[in-house]
Amino acid sequence: MPSRAHVAQAFRAAVPVMLGYVAIGIPCGILCDSIGLNALQALLMSCVFYSGAGQFMIPNMYLAGAPAASIIASVSFVNARQMLYSAYFAPYAATASKRLALFFAATVTDESYGVSVAKFEEGDWSIDRALMVNLFSQSSWAISNAVGVLVGSAIGIPLDIAAFAMTSIFICLLVTQKLTSANIVAAVAAMLGVLLCKAVGLSGPAILIGAVSGVAVAMAYEAMRARWGGKHELG
Amino acid sequence: MSWAEFWVILIGCSITILACRVLPMLLLKGRELPAWASRALGLIPAAAFAALVANDLFAPGMFEAGFWPAAIPLLVACIVVLVALRTRSLLWSAVTGVAAYALLLLI
Repeated sequence: MPSRAHVAQAFRAAVPVMLGYVAIGIPCGILCDSIGLNALQALLMSCVFYSGAGQFMIPNMYLAGAPAASIIASVSFVNARQMLYSAYFAPYAATASKRLALFFAATVTDESYGVSVAKFEEGDWSIDRALMVNLFSQSSWAISNAVGVLVGSAIGIPLDIAAFAMTSIFICLLVTQKLTSANIVAAVAAMLGVLLCKAVGLSGPAILIGAVSGVAVAMAYEAMRARWGGKHELG
Repeated sequence: MSWAEFWVILIGCSITILACRVLPMLLLKGRELPAWASRALGLIPAAAFAALVANDLFAPGMFEAGFWPAAIPLLVACIVVLVALRTRSLLWSAVTGVAAYALLLLI
């Protein structure tokens, strides 16, 4: 059993994400209601599938008349970026049990990934607390989704404003990264990669391709720098 | 959406996302990674957050509907950068972002 102190630390770390998930979970539930999903279905989707972007895409594509196969393919493509997060956490899970590590990996999202990256890089953090961050976030998301279905469109939340909570969280996580030159190269290349993907119509996998190209360009940059002398701040 | 369609879509989407979430952990956990691989993993956060931000803020033809609708999110993003650097707080960044965006849309 996790200690009470760990539960409290995890809860504090999860609060920004939980509030953000209320803000976008309710509109997501409203959207699910509009295609005839009930609260139980919204809850099931949040418990089993659990992907913010995915759960917005499904009703949107369904409303646009897309067949199930194309919905599954597009959603899967967008969510493939999750493999980067899973790989990132693997070294931190070295001493955790396999069951705990896999349960943790299965419940990571963009936002809870961000919170745990920040915590692991600060130091004093562990997979059990990271898992609790995921579960607190998921509970908030699942409940907000079901509430959204139940209240339907009785309350109007302007989605673009609510969604900016998530954008702001990503901005904060980005600018609080260590300012090494390799990180800057990775960030700039990733942004250019996303823009390029979107410009040629590949908006589905844009985040994955952008992030992978950011890592690749920064690796090439580090290799070049190591080769031509300047061995100052590797890492 | 019928229950049958719901199950097909739920199970289809869940299998692929679960594979992406679990397989890298399963394959890499407990392995001694070569130095280059650890460096690559260390670069993921900066690249991933930058990609997520760029994906939210930029779209081709975003200025076609007029300057302000596209410029407001960018302006708010700049404000959030300042707050994030100063407070290093996710909560303050999110609150500032939403409040500034709502205010600028009202004006």
